Amino acid sequence: MPRFLHTADWQMGRTFSRFEAEDGAALVEARFKAIETLAGLARERQCDAVLVAGDVFDAQGVSDRTIRRVFNATQGFDGPWVLLPGNHDAALVESVWTRAQRLKSVPDNVLLALTPGVITLDEQGLAVLCAPLTQRHTYSDLTAAFDRYETPGHLVRVGLAHGGVEGLLSEDIDATNPIAADRAKASRLDYLALGDWHGTRQIDERTWYSGTPEPERFRNNDAGNALVVEIDHPGSQPHVEAVATSQFQWHQWREALSVNSDLERLIERLQALPATSVLDLRLSGEITLDGDERLNHALSVAEARIRSIQCERSSLQLSPTQEDIATLQADGYLGNVITRLRDLQEGEQGEAARDALAILATVLKDPRGESAS
Amino acid sequence: MKLQRLRVEQVRQFRAPFVLNDLNPGLNLIHGPNESGKSTLVRAIRAAFFERYRSKSVQDLCPWGDSSAAPTVELEFEHQGTQWRLIKSFLKRTRCDLTIGGDSFSEDEAEERVAELLGYEYSKKGGSKAAHWGIPGLLWVEQGTGQDIEQAVEHAGDHLQSALNTLVGEVASSGGDAVIDKVTAERGALLTRTGQPTGEYRQLGEAREGYQEAVNDLESRVAQYQQQVDRLQAVTQEFQKHQQERPWDKAQTSLEEAQARLAGIQQLEQQQQRELETLGHLEQQHELTAQNLAQMKRAGEQLAERREALEMAEQRLRTTESQSNTVTGELVAATEAYNAAARQLTAARAQDQRARLVREKEQAAQRKQTLSEQLEKARTYQVQLNEALKQSQENRIDVEAVAELKRSDRALREARIRSEAIASRLSWALEPGVLASLDDHPITGDGAEQLLDRARLRIAGVGTFDITPGGDQLADTRRTLAEREQSVQAQLDKLSVPSPEDAEERKARFEAAEQRRMHAEDLLRSVAPSGIEVLGVAQAEAASELEALEKRLGTAPEVVKANVPALAEAEVEFSRAESRLKAAERAEREYQTLLLTRRQARDNAHSEWHRLDREFQSNEHQKKLAGLEERFGALSAEKREKAGRVERRKEQIRQARPDILRQDIDRFEKTIQHLHDTQVAREREMREIKVRLEAWGAEGLEEQLSEARVGLEQCNRRYQELSRRARALDLLLSLLVDQRQALTRRLQAPLQKHLDHYVSLLFPEARLEVDEQLQPGRFSRGRELGHVGELSFGAREQMGLISRLAYADLLLEADRPTLIMLDDTLVHSDQSRLDAMKRILFDAARRHQILLFTCHPEKWQDLGVAPVDIEHLKKSPPTLA
Repeated sequence: MPRFLHTADWQMGRTFSRFEAEDGAALVEARFKAIETLAGLARERQCDAVLVAGDVFDAQGVSDRTIRRVFNATQGFDGPWVLLPGNHDAALVESVWTRAQRLKSVPDNVLLALTPGVITLDEQGLAVLCAPLTQRHTYSDLTAAFDRYETPGHLVRVGLAHGGVEGLLSEDIDATNPIAADRAKASRLDYLALGDWHGTRQIDERTWYSGTPEPERFRNNDAGNALVVEIDHPGSQPHVEAVATSQFQWHQWREALSVNSDLERLIERLQALPATSVLDLRLSGEITLDGDERLNHALSVAEARIRSIQCERSSLQLSPTQEDIATLQADGYLGNVITRLRDLQEGEQGEAARDALAILATVLKDPRGESAS
Repeated sequence: MKLQRLRVEQVRQFRAPFVLNDLNPGLNLIHGPNESGKSTLVRAIRAAFFERYRSKSVQDLCPWGDSSAAPTVELEFEHQGTQWRLIKSFLKRTRCDLTIGGDSFSEDEAEERVAELLGYEYSKKGGSKAAHWGIPGLLWVEQGTGQDIEQAVEHAGDHLQSALNTLVGEVASSGGDAVIDKVTAERGALLTRTGQPTGEYRQLGEAREGYQEAVNDLESRVAQYQQQVDRLQAVTQEFQKHQQERPWDKAQTSLEEAQARLAGIQQLEQQQQRELETLGHLEQQHELTAQNLAQMKRAGEQLAERREALEMAEQRLRTTESQSNTVTGELVAATEAYNAAARQLTAARAQDQRARLVREKEQAAQRKQTLSEQLEKARTYQVQLNEALKQSQENRIDVEAVAELKRSDRALREARIRSEAIASRLSWALEPGVLASLDDHPITGDGAEQLLDRARLRIAGVGTFDITPGGDQLADTRRTLAEREQSVQAQLDKLSVPSPEDAEERKARFEAAEQRRMHAEDLLRSVAPSGIEVLGVAQAEAASELEALEKRLGTAPEVVKANVPALAEAEVEFSRAESRLKAAERAEREYQTLLLTRRQARDNAHSEWHRLDREFQSNEHQKKLAGLEERFGALSAEKREKAGRVERRKEQIRQARPDILRQDIDRFEKTIQHLHDTQVAREREMREIKVRLEAWGAEGLEEQLSEARVGLEQCNRRYQELSRRARALDLLLSLLVDQRQALTRRLQAPLQKHLDHYVSLLFPEARLEVDEQLQPGRFSRGRELGHVGELSFGAREQMGLISRLAYADLLLEADRPTLIMLDDTLVHSDQSRLDAMKRILFDAARRHQILLFTCHPEKWQDLGVAPVDIEHLKKSPPTLA
């Protein structure tokens, strides 16, 4: 009754340029933590093996330190790990894998599937049919070879591959590295463990994408899981359980503001976000000067509380109301300037006009203030 | 606002009430000498308005030495149809009452009402200060401060601004300038004045470039790394494929095969080589035999040739021989012609010789004749010469001596004359027959005698008379005479002539003879220059020459032939005949030579032919020829047979293409080498790339690149933020400044209008502009340009007053009260400016009430108003109000 952990797309060595340095570092750190989480999970669930379906590394040229840390992080589980090269870390003649071997950083229980073929884990009752990428891209189905691989009858046949299932996944996924939709059936597999798609996804009853254990993109596709797969004996239905592994939740909100209550609702949602959130907020519509100030305040509070907020509001127009202007005591020509800026937001200088308006509002509100930024 | 009445009491020198009544709504000229209270009135008006009624700081209002006084000022004025009355008492009785129309106000409220109307403030503590005076501070000019307008305008600023706002209907933003300052500062943190990035913004721009450079560098290195990986992959594949397929083995087999085939062909080639050598020898022999045979066959041909040559030589000889007569004939003819010409030449020469002799003879005869005649003449001349010589010799005399004689004779005669002159004369006339003697010389008849010496006259019969001449010189004269007589005589003796006359005669003869001699000598020399003898010899020679010529002529033969040619002609003819002869002789010689040569040739040709003929006809020769022909046939057959074999083998070799076989071998060898080399190179390259990649891989290039990108992205993001902010600030600032400028322009316009009005009255071409603070600023007049503050004191005072009037006009337009007070103003203006200013004041007074205080009323006579004399008023009793 073999039980194993199916994971993929660790993308170790990835950096996060769009975030502030501190946030980026935390997100990088979370990826190492994720491996440890996986090891812990495997141990906890008494898994026989951990199968990683490609893209362990984000690039071939990661630092030695990253390589060592990755393998160190597997220590929590002393059963066999089968690591499959994906398109980011293909088993080229010189690769991150050969470097890892040279560094002697690969523990004995970590098996590198650098060549196509079968890795037999007799003790664990598993025959792992591996289809590693040995080139950066391929246009042929590498899993086609599974047909020919014979495995002992008492072992569960598990395919391990990295690529896109043909005709199924959205065009966002590379059209390269195709995998036949009926591979599991065609090659008499008990289970086909796939990588490349970063969200958890079931293709058929024997074919799954585990997704990445720690999200790294704003795509609401159920990332951040690992699959605990249990197969009673060769030929029986796999029992698959998705277990959340992620430290951070990535959210992407696109909000259009028009009336005051829209802003209220947005602020409430911000307040409700857990601290482990990474938020990408894009605002459009229009907002009063007063509303803008409230929004700034809410964002500032949230920024201090949750991991990261990025707010894009170039499509959000500032529309000062009469009360705004009265509050600002923008008499005389200042009033004219405010009107001009409000109008200019529609034209080519829209962004500058909006910023200028915000700056003016700040200056007027706080005449002795040091900075409006 | 029109001030109508002013009343003061207990104010400085006005202890008793003083009233200024019936003030003109326009211009009021109030004058009085110094100390008359003019300034006190001004002070009283200002105090009534500016000073708090309960102020303790107005002690100066009190009359001197009267500390218990209660200075009181009472003012009545009209504003916009409403009557105002203000009474203020200070110090001892502090009080303020105000009635506006029917309403009454008092104390502070009264004061506030007035302040509000006129636009000023009270000071919080103590006496009123300029900073509080507001509009009146601007319109009420104290003595000597007319030029200082800046402060006054500043203090009136808010009131002016509000007046303008009323006019323009707009609010000059209260906090606008502060906002502009702030925004300018914010912008300054990011951009320079010219809009270039500065500070952090600039640093970010530079840092961004640095990051970009690092990213570019890493990208290219990553690309290089990946390229090397690809290369390693490709080379490794190639290497393994070759190790499996071993293509060099196949090449080796092909090589060996080709080598074996080539060896077979090479054997064949050696055989061919040997055969070719044999064939070569055979061909040589064959050739040699053919040559011999040909040589023998050619002997017959030579015989015929020789025969032909012999005949040719004979033919030539015959031809030559036939020319003999022609040559000889010419020679004979030429000889004859030569001889005839020679004869003719001799005859011509003889004839010529004779003609020459005849001529010579005639010449000689002629010469002889001439010489004979000359000889004759010469002889005649010789006779003449001799004659002359003889004559000459006969009469030869010393010509000098004759001349000396002549001189002596003349002296003698002179002596005689002198002696006679002094001598005593004795003349006598004797009777015939009387004998008488003088000094023993008988005398007769008549006569006379000069007596120089004593003489004795004796007359026969009579006796003797001794006569002694007297005189001193007598003796001397007598001596001189005697000396001279002796001298003459001596000379005569020497010359052998009796008298001087003879001597002269002889001399004449001598000279004539000499003359003749010389003439004869000249003639003789003309005919016989060398003497008669020489001439004679020449004549004799001429005679003998003639004789000889006649003799030769006699022997010379007479020419007999009539047709003798002239000598020159004969000589030409001879020379022609001579050359003809020579040519003929040469031709003959050459002919003889040719003849001999041809004979020789013929003889040689004959002997040659004869020798060959003999040889050819011999037996031995015929036998040898037959032998050779037989050998030649045999050799030809053998050669053909051998050549056939060689040709067949050659074809065999050609078809086997040994050259191509060799190329194949070369090719296979090279292929093997190349395959090995390439494989070795692959191995080496793999090693090299691996080493390189290991080194590069350890750097973690892609992770470095990611980190660099993070840096770039973050830097970029911050840069973009600042850039956005800079753009926003730029836009904001430009909008603020634009709006503010537009507003300022609108605010300035009304004031400028009034200012223009007055300035044009003072300087037709000038213009005074107000600046943003509504201060008079730039002043221009024609080409002059500058700030009003740079003008002279007088001009500044004038400009100050003009500006104040303009402000008054502005305030009037905004329905503000305008009372203008001028305390002894324009004291620094010259007459013409003062005149212009009077026009301006008169003009302004049509709209505003003006109180002009002065101590120089004469200066203001022509203002068109009746002056008010304070001194006069003080004396007249105050009218009750």
